[in-house]
Amino acid sequence: MSTRERRERSDSSDFVLQELFRESVEKFPKFMGALAIGAVGGYGRGELSPGSDLDLLIIHDGSMPSESLLEFVNSVLYPLWDQARAVDHSVRTRAETKVAAEADLKVAMGLLDLRAIAGNFELVTAVAQEAQESWRRNFKRNFAGIVSSVLERESRSGELAYLLEPDLKESRGGLRDITTIRAMALTGSVPIALDRLAAAENLLANVRDSLHQSSGRGRDQLLLSQQDAVAKAMNFADADALMLEVAKSARTVDYVMSLTIHRIENTKAKKLFRKRSDSVIGLGLRVHNEEVVLEPAEISEGDSGFGLRAAAAAVQLGLPLSIDATVYIAENFTALPTPWPRQSREDLVALLGAGESLIKVWEALDQEGIVESWIPEWSHVRFLPQRNALHRHTVDRHMLETAVRASALIRNVHRPDLLLVAAAFHDLGKGFLDLDHSEYGEVLMRPLAHRLGFSDEDCETLALLVREHLLLSTVATRRDLDDPATIAHVVQHVGNAETLELLHALSIADGEATGRTAWSDWKARLVADLVSRSLSAMAGIEPAAQLELTPSQIARSAEGELWIEISAHENNFEIEIISPDQVGLLSMVAGALTISRLNVRSARTRTVGESAVMKWIVVLDPHAELPTAVKLEELLRRAFRGELDLSDRLSERIANYRKFPGIPVAPPIVRASNDLATNATVLEVRMHDRPGILYTVAKAVSRFGVDIRAAIVATLGAEAFDTLYLTDLQGNALSEERAVLLANQVEQLLLTQ
Amino acid sequence: MKLITAIIKPFKLDDVKTALQAFGVTGMTVSEASGFGRQRGHTEVYRGAEYTVDLVPKVRLEVLVDSPDAEKVIDVIVKAASTGSIGDGKVWSTPVESVVRVRTGERGVDAI
Repeated sequence: MSTRERRERSDSSDFVLQELFRESVEKFPKFMGALAIGAVGGYGRGELSPGSDLDLLIIHDGSMPSESLLEFVNSVLYPLWDQARAVDHSVRTRAETKVAAEADLKVAMGLLDLRAIAGNFELVTAVAQEAQESWRRNFKRNFAGIVSSVLERESRSGELAYLLEPDLKESRGGLRDITTIRAMALTGSVPIALDRLAAAENLLANVRDSLHQSSGRGRDQLLLSQQDAVAKAMNFADADALMLEVAKSARTVDYVMSLTIHRIENTKAKKLFRKRSDSVIGLGLRVHNEEVVLEPAEISEGDSGFGLRAAAAAVQLGLPLSIDATVYIAENFTALPTPWPRQSREDLVALLGAGESLIKVWEALDQEGIVESWIPEWSHVRFLPQRNALHRHTVDRHMLETAVRASALIRNVHRPDLLLVAAAFHDLGKGFLDLDHSEYGEVLMRPLAHRLGFSDEDCETLALLVREHLLLSTVATRRDLDDPATIAHVVQHVGNAETLELLHALSIADGEATGRTAWSDWKARLVADLVSRSLSAMAGIEPAAQLELTPSQIARSAEGELWIEISAHENNFEIEIISPDQVGLLSMVAGALTISRLNVRSARTRTVGESAVMKWIVVLDPHAELPTAVKLEELLRRAFRGELDLSDRLSERIANYRKFPGIPVAPPIVRASNDLATNATVLEVRMHDRPGILYTVAKAVSRFGVDIRAAIVATLGAEAFDTLYLTDLQGNALSEERAVLLANQVEQLLLTQ
Repeated sequence: MKLITAIIKPFKLDDVKTALQAFGVTGMTVSEASGFGRQRGHTEVYRGAEYTVDLVPKVRLEVLVDSPDAEKVIDVIVKAASTGSIGDGKVWSTPVESVVRVRTGERGVDAI
């Protein structure tokens, strides 16, 4: 099986048909010029698989009487049928062909490959030219139909890359998709990377030929029982090696298809507005025609983390990266320092936490080999099949699906960044013969986590999560939950409540990503029961610790003056503010920083005596200038005097931020609980990051008549996690009812803003 | 012929399977189930919130046996599935009129 063999088969069929034509037309010498036989579809392209039909179009000029025409056609077809050749034919005049093509997309596409075999070649050429012209002319009108037929085929026949028994022709990423892409390329409306398709098409066509040969049938579905024979015939080591190559090719085709459709859909919009200005979303990043594109002039070569940042920005907006952007990143931004800088780690977390939109962008990065450069451990699991009834996806896609499911669960954990990273890499240990994948995964995870720049403690947590990712579902179904020894076993293996919380979310995400065969409500309930019993046996989760004050900070705070110091670090700025305390101080400072176009990445604040000490880590908005300490002081004094209308200006900033539809995100969650250790009420706010969260929360809290003793603000990827220590005006924790009321109010406010 | 149905605790499935195979039973059907008995689930206290669980996850096991074996098979299942605590489940038998093996067409006891 090869292109040459397919061509030879096609050539010999041509010969047979030419002979048949000659013999058949002898009976009707008057009509020799009125008839022609053409090939359409694959045969038209000169490619014939062993089990393929002969797709024929018999064209006539309408001058023949019908009985003669019928006799002619039968004398061509009968010998073919007698030889047990499968023939798919139609008999049409030039005009009838035109009508049929306009009515049926499949006919129109098949005609694009029309090739003359016998008879009046001029007639065939005329029909072919007409078909091409009409295809181009009607393309816009047909486009919606083409897309819906692609999607309908996908829902019917699944994805070639991931099915256990895929249909080589009809599944997404298969031969028919390739034909469709070529048909779209003919119109020249958008650039399409046809060269990428060539290798994929060759492989899939060869597999199909081999399948036809070994099964003796023309069916295109590659059954499990046939995969060994096909692998052997094609000289693959085994069926797994064969299916890996099939998956690879299918994913390339899928990628080109998605990109092509996306581009065509968004070029149409261009026609409406002559000039469509690109929107800036970051330094060097623009949105153009619903794709993220690059502005190379603004990008500095030394900015190693640029590629990750671009990818994170794209997924958070729910948009793809343009192919040019992806190629540019592949050529310039594949090397990251060891360990990764904090910003790159945050970008990875934002990338992994965006939900569905992760899949397509990651696929694009993977197709260009970028993922392997950033994370070498990924190479081993790329396209790795899991050929058992339990799993739907290849290992790499499964881990991404787990991350997608995990992104819906981030409100349930204190460390969404650890959950997402564990989810995305939990099966890295698969595919190593004779090694337990959980144990080997741990061995791979630890150095990876260090390289990503996580703290030692976090690295150990990540390693544990990978090692124990099957623990909860195994124990819940196999061991007696009433037995204290079972609970003790889990507690011993997991250690603390924060890790258990993460492991629970990871188990749910992993189960849901695997599918109904491995996870169901039934199993979820068992696991939840196990978790709740184990949590009862553990100490609770500590809230984020308050800021530790240095002697100089304590001294300065005693002075009772406003003091600001700004220092620059590698990727961010640290702003230290010490100020006399007043009602609404935190919200005013947070608001002032936000309207100065500074994005708060993290902060720790604490009141001591009559003053408040604050440490803010901020990042500049693209194109924003860092204010001087003097300017910032001036701004704050104005705010303290009530001269600054922060609400209005903040609403403006939030509205600006919301310009793009973005992606669906989990709603904010606000919880209050009383912390005995500090005699304060701890308010935890978890939500998708955006400007002005702290301002809103702090303002609502101060309006409630409550003091903010300390605040810890953290941004993990694209998620904000704020912890506030609150007391009533006497310095004690709030009552339960007040605490719950406050939490609900703040949650409502954040939801509706 | 009889159909023996057992509702057991999920973690006991392996023990019951092993015991049945040792006894000589060659086939069974297993499905996920939820249910409750006289204790109506149980009450858990978790971090201050109390919730009542009434449908508890169980496993349903079904085995076709020749009538003379029915009581013995029930005993085997009961012994293997028992933990002595609440929620161990129940086993019962129902009469079966006819059984056919799909592949060969064998009927009756030959199909068991």
